[in-house]
Amino acid sequence: MTITHHPGEETLAAFAAGSLDEPRSVVVAAHVALCPHCQATVAGFEQVGGALVERSVPAASRAGALDEALARLDEAAPPAPVIPEAAPDCPGVLAPYEVGRWRWIGPGVYWRKVDVPESEGTRVFMLKAAPGSSLPHHGHSGVEWTCVLQGAFRHDLGRYGPGDFDEADSSVDHTPTVEMGDVCICLVAMQGDLELRGWLGRLMQPFVRL
Amino acid sequence: MRYEAESITPQKAANLVRAIAVRRDREAFKDLFNFYAPRIKSMLMKRGAAGEIAEDLAQETLIAVWRKADSYDPQRATVSAWIFTIARNLRIDRFRKDQRAQLHQVYELMLPAEADPPDVPFEAVERESRVRAALEGLPEEQVRVVELSFFEGIAHGDIASKLGIPLGTVKSRLRLAMARLRDFLGEDS
Repeated sequence: MTITHHPGEETLAAFAAGSLDEPRSVVVAAHVALCPHCQATVAGFEQVGGALVERSVPAASRAGALDEALARLDEAAPPAPVIPEAAPDCPGVLAPYEVGRWRWIGPGVYWRKVDVPESEGTRVFMLKAAPGSSLPHHGHSGVEWTCVLQGAFRHDLGRYGPGDFDEADSSVDHTPTVEMGDVCICLVAMQGDLELRGWLGRLMQPFVRL
Repeated sequence: MRYEAESITPQKAANLVRAIAVRRDREAFKDLFNFYAPRIKSMLMKRGAAGEIAEDLAQETLIAVWRKADSYDPQRATVSAWIFTIARNLRIDRFRKDQRAQLHQVYELMLPAEADPPDVPFEAVERESRVRAALEGLPEEQVRVVELSFFEGIAHGDIASKLGIPLGTVKSRLRLAMARLRDFLGEDS
């Protein structure tokens, strides 16, 4: 897998620090799981986190804190949470979440919900599009972060194949086209509603809240 | 007076974790607790956790170190980075508002299963020295905005008012700091 589009360093830093909301983190995690380069960058920012812990001014523990902790060492560990296997056509990082059924939303295009709790209007879903199909021409009211899981699409800014990460914001207005060959499946975190343009978009808009 | 460690080398910390893993060494646990618990508590309080909660989470973090010591992989992360991630995940879990929220699990599921993937560009020890060199080369004011922005999750505008500097200065400090970190963390440097 040759990955050419990565999340920005600021995104990876916020992700490593635990400061990104859950919907965006899930899509970043799907990319990182596939990308050794970004695994190293995230590990680098985790090392920055470790260094900041080392440098921080200690906040005195309450009296008896160490004895309290020592007394707990022999307690049995609580059972590890059981995480079901991710569905066969879902990335492993989605294992803890409910995933909905594919719904037809347009010619060759399907959508399914991923039950990551919404954060400030950002939701997670998967999109599946047939080879050669055009996704509706659209703009965004907020961020749209996409990790390609399978197949490839193209838009003004390049080709996005498996593992590639597309970090678009409200300034982007585009018409992605799916390449011939494989069905294209993407994991998307989108803030606000997709503003569909063109006749097909206007036709679909009342039926789907994307 | 309570003993509080002033510093710890990466090698010393790794040896302490190993002593816990191989012989459940309680003295090693004490040393790790004395160094890390007050610092984790401090970090969590900076992120807005109340003192009691930060204290509890710091204790949970060190208990997790005791329980997971045998899964600690020194190739992958230094002890400080590893403990940072444990505390991060416990904090996210503790403050989730929705039972469907599972981000603390996602961080673990994301990691490749193999302990030492062949294409990892460098190991934890080298990463530690690169990060140390990068942070030492940065002016303290730049480290501070990195800390506030990413590690305390504060918006740029709020950092500007907190530090009493213009928004543009916050952004330029961040940009300079990130460029330097990128150089040190990059595979090609």
